[in-house]
Amino acid sequence: MSPVVTVTDLTKRYRDVTALDGISFSLTENRIHGLLGRNGAGKTTLMQILTAQNFATSGDVAVFGQHPYENERVLSRISFIKESQTYPSNLRVSHVLRAGGLVHPGWDEEFAQRLIDVFQLPRQRNVRKLSRGMLSSLGIVVGLASRAPLTFFDEPYLGLDAVARQLFYDHLLADYTEHPRTIVLSTHLIDEVSDLIEHVLLMDRGRLLLDVEAEALRGQVVTVSGPVAAVDEFARTGAELHRVLLGGTARATVRGDFGPAAPDRARSLGLDLEASSLQDIVVRLTTSKTGHAPGAGGAGATNEEAAR
Amino acid sequence: MNRALTVARLQFVDWPSVVAWPWGILALSFVINLALFASMNENVDVEPTTGGLLSIYVVMFVACVSSITQDFPFAIGLGISRRSFYLGNVLQYVGQAIAYAAVLYLLAMAEQATDGWGIDLRFFGLPFLWVEHPVLRFLGFAIPFLLLGFLGIAIAVVFKRWGVNGMLTLSTVALVGLGGLAVLATWLRWWPAIVGWFADQSGAALLVGWPALLTLPLAVLSYLAIRRAQP
Repeated sequence: MSPVVTVTDLTKRYRDVTALDGISFSLTENRIHGLLGRNGAGKTTLMQILTAQNFATSGDVAVFGQHPYENERVLSRISFIKESQTYPSNLRVSHVLRAGGLVHPGWDEEFAQRLIDVFQLPRQRNVRKLSRGMLSSLGIVVGLASRAPLTFFDEPYLGLDAVARQLFYDHLLADYTEHPRTIVLSTHLIDEVSDLIEHVLLMDRGRLLLDVEAEALRGQVVTVSGPVAAVDEFARTGAELHRVLLGGTARATVRGDFGPAAPDRARSLGLDLEASSLQDIVVRLTTSKTGHAPGAGGAGATNEEAAR
Repeated sequence: MNRALTVARLQFVDWPSVVAWPWGILALSFVINLALFASMNENVDVEPTTGGLLSIYVVMFVACVSSITQDFPFAIGLGISRRSFYLGNVLQYVGQAIAYAAVLYLLAMAEQATDGWGIDLRFFGLPFLWVEHPVLRFLGFAIPFLLLGFLGIAIAVVFKRWGVNGMLTLSTVALVGLGGLAVLATWLRWWPAIVGWFADQSGAALLVGWPALLTLPLAVLSYLAIRRAQP
């Protein structure tokens, strides 16, 4: 399967900030990719460049095999839903849907109308008079109904309540199952989407920390707790990302190629072992100095933190 | 080209408001003038002449500014290329200019036929810019739409591309440039020659020829600038 997106050594520099620092990766077709990272990590800049809304300083991007800039064949197959999207002041909700139908070849009007009901959006209301949450819902409706082969959701749910967010996840998953496409979901609510995401891209300060299958990642990072000596012994086989000391016991997050034997090994050392959640992994990797280590090597450095 | 047509249609999704603003304001201006001069017109035999026709051109200028500041980010956000956006935007605007000029032409004829709506009012036909040839007369209504429209587009593109600093630079350059020329003209005593030159120009040259000549570079420069603009 050819990749939908290929990024090679992409760099974006603003006057004194390096937003993207020579990153390379590719996106496989018909997957849900989680684009994770802190504010200012470069996620939005990356998506803007992939959709030709922003310009790279150096490096190459190929979307559907071609550069997206001024490329109608590529752009017509992309939908980019962003929190900061603005609308002309005279448009109503129904106008925005009509606009989406005009621009997106794969637009499903019936689905759009259904979603408008699901999110309880007032069809005749002026877009500028929508609440923040409603505006986010409108973006989500356009993004889903566009059925674009490559769909970006950049923090799509500012101001949305938990119910509406769950509705978004449910409809995204249902429609994705019926109409497979490549989805990039950028979000801070990692725990909420961890079941949805099939591939994880983690960014930090313009670099790519992780580019890995979600399934593979889950077994790679574990948290063990128990006597310090036993934790030391266990952590030897991986890269320790984080440690909390409490008297004679320690709790450490370790990344490595553990395999199915890891629980037994932990038990024989007298340790409790749990798989870290995706959110834990992201937090530990972005705050750890060993986070940049590509694999399980470099087990030396640790990021110790005494319990207060 | 297909996508450019899509953009043109995109800008008409709310067509009632697109059409209502320019014509609503022009109608309002016309009615006020009509009422005003009808109530004043009892004893004098002057031909009242108004600048009310300008209102529709001003509204279209503003519409062009907002096509860049508002429609551009929306269209690009939906996945339109800058080239298609620009072409589509120009297409729909030229379409409007032609249609509106035709309506204004007919209204000017009606004004003539009814002796200025019964009160010698000159609203749609300007006496000092009279163009006899029918085609040129039609273009005299259409081309100023284009000049003002592309001026609005060009200014808005500068803002979109270079932000507030761009606008300040543009204002400074315009101020220094025009001010400098004025000083130079005064110093070299050119004013009589300049006024004479304008007086020598025919209505067709002032409404069609020169505006068309100015519109062209504005259109080209706007296109070049918008190609690297961010939404």
